Amino acid sequence: MSIIKEAELPGLGKKFEISLDNGDRVAVVIHDEGMREVYHFPAGEDDPLSSVTMTDQEARQVGSIISGSFYQPRLLEKLETAVADLHIEWLQVEIGSAIAGKSIGELGLRKNHGIIVIAVIEDIKKGRKGKTLINPGPSYVFTPGHTIVAAGLQEKMRQFEGLLTREK
Amino acid sequence: MNHDIIFNLALAFTFISLAIFIANKLKFSSIPLLILAGMLTGPHAPDLGGISLALVYQTESMDLLARLGVLLMLFYLGLEFSAGKLAAAGSSLVKGGTVYVGLNFARGLAFGWLFFHSWPEAFVVAGITGISSSAIITKLLVELKRTANPETEFILGIMVFEDVFLAVYLSVLTGLLFSGGNLAAREIVPGVVLIFAFVVFIIACGRRIGAALEPRLPAKSAESFTVVVFTLLLLTAVLVETLHIAEAIGALLLGLVMAETVHARRVIQLVSPMRDLFGAVFFFSFGLDIDYRLFGDALYLTLAAVLLTVAGNVVTGLLASWLAGYKSKRGFNVAFTIIARGEFAVIVASLAVTAGASPVLPAFAALYVLVLAFISPVLAKNAPSFYRGYTRLLASLPRPGGRTHSAG
Repeated sequence: MSIIKEAELPGLGKKFEISLDNGDRVAVVIHDEGMREVYHFPAGEDDPLSSVTMTDQEARQVGSIISGSFYQPRLLEKLETAVADLHIEWLQVEIGSAIAGKSIGELGLRKNHGIIVIAVIEDIKKGRKGKTLINPGPSYVFTPGHTIVAAGLQEKMRQFEGLLTREK
Repeated sequence: MNHDIIFNLALAFTFISLAIFIANKLKFSSIPLLILAGMLTGPHAPDLGGISLALVYQTESMDLLARLGVLLMLFYLGLEFSAGKLAAAGSSLVKGGTVYVGLNFARGLAFGWLFFHSWPEAFVVAGITGISSSAIITKLLVELKRTANPETEFILGIMVFEDVFLAVYLSVLTGLLFSGGNLAAREIVPGVVLIFAFVVFIIACGRRIGAALEPRLPAKSAESFTVVVFTLLLLTAVLVETLHIAEAIGALLLGLVMAETVHARRVIQLVSPMRDLFGAVFFFSFGLDIDYRLFGDALYLTLAAVLLTVAGNVVTGLLASWLAGYKSKRGFNVAFTIIARGEFAVIVASLAVTAGASPVLPAFAALYVLVLAFISPVLAKNAPSFYRGYTRLLASLPRPGGRTHSAG
């Protein structure tokens, strides 16, 4: 976790300084009038590298994007509204995942898990461009490093995500 | 001459708006421009080709608004830069702040004595030249994008420190000025000491008084809250006046007390628009009373004061920030930023003149604030280059040991 330092700036507002793991520091000044200033101090530097000033409303928008509550892939915006519960996601097969080495048919992915694999993007190796398989057949074997584009209901997607990530 | 009060006020506010508009366009502090606007359109305005520019009259109503302006400005100061925040800031600030304010004030006192050979005037000059303008400095920090710098906490801490000092200073000043000119120490000292003790008592017990006040404020209804806060402000002014303390101190003390209540934020939001409005009238009306023809007398005094302020401030600022643990570049940023003078210099000068001190003082304060308003943003902006120049100078000086100091 990063360390957050708080300081009162009389006449201006309040300052929050966040030290990031990589050594950089981010300072956020919230003015009494609602304006926000964000400064970026590179590791070991005393002077800010850059800064932005935002109005209260802009800051709230940016904040929700950063916090992740705002995120929606632009391409999928329409789809999302049409089928509210359908989720399409890009997921990577991690090394040591529970289903690595198993094929779609073997797992009975559609029947047992309610997941449809739309496409597979093979990993990029040594400058070679990754191959994309659209609608792979039941013989496709999950290989660590591949990216799976899959569709399913929210609940099912979450379970599938669990299968792809490394087991503890 | 029978002129309509509202018409006069409308004219005044037209010029006030114009001055503030120009100040914003030029990214310049509005205080000197407001004073200039008052000077150029008031009773002492110049004649241009036989047409007098004297458009605005100094009326009773204008005076009232200006007085309210002072009360609100000091009330706000107390609210924003309260003693509680000073205590929270820690000992490094107290050390640095004491040195800074003490040395600056002593310098002002010595300088004032040299020019006027009179202690009340010297004391006024020390106040005018010794205390920075928190309004101008916070604005500068925002413009220079230094709000997140570590030394900014220290700079604003000094503002808080000066504010508490201000309460004490004003108490002594009014004691000196309203003693009616007879300066036999025996007659003044008890009064000054009494006021001084009262002010220190209020500052020290601010939290307790605030706690007693807190549940009694009608916080639920916005209307009654506004009215009650304003009434409190006026009543405090009246109360301290009967104790022979300037109403301005009353407002400042009330601010310091209110800052310790949970309503502090809300009161600040309530007061700031009123302060902007009436504060502007105060500076404008201060300008109305100034005859620029008096500038000749004040010119040398002003130039000497400006030079001394800049030089002295740099030295004391560096020393104070060094004591507080802000070294090299940070110290330079502190020293070159806190030079700005503004609202406080004007308030002190106007207090002094109502008490019958030297008539040169308002003209001096106006010129002084104007000149510094031009210089101080430039100095603050170039603080890093001053630091580079300083390190280069150090590097070029041969050290006694034969080593040369390299810029770190």
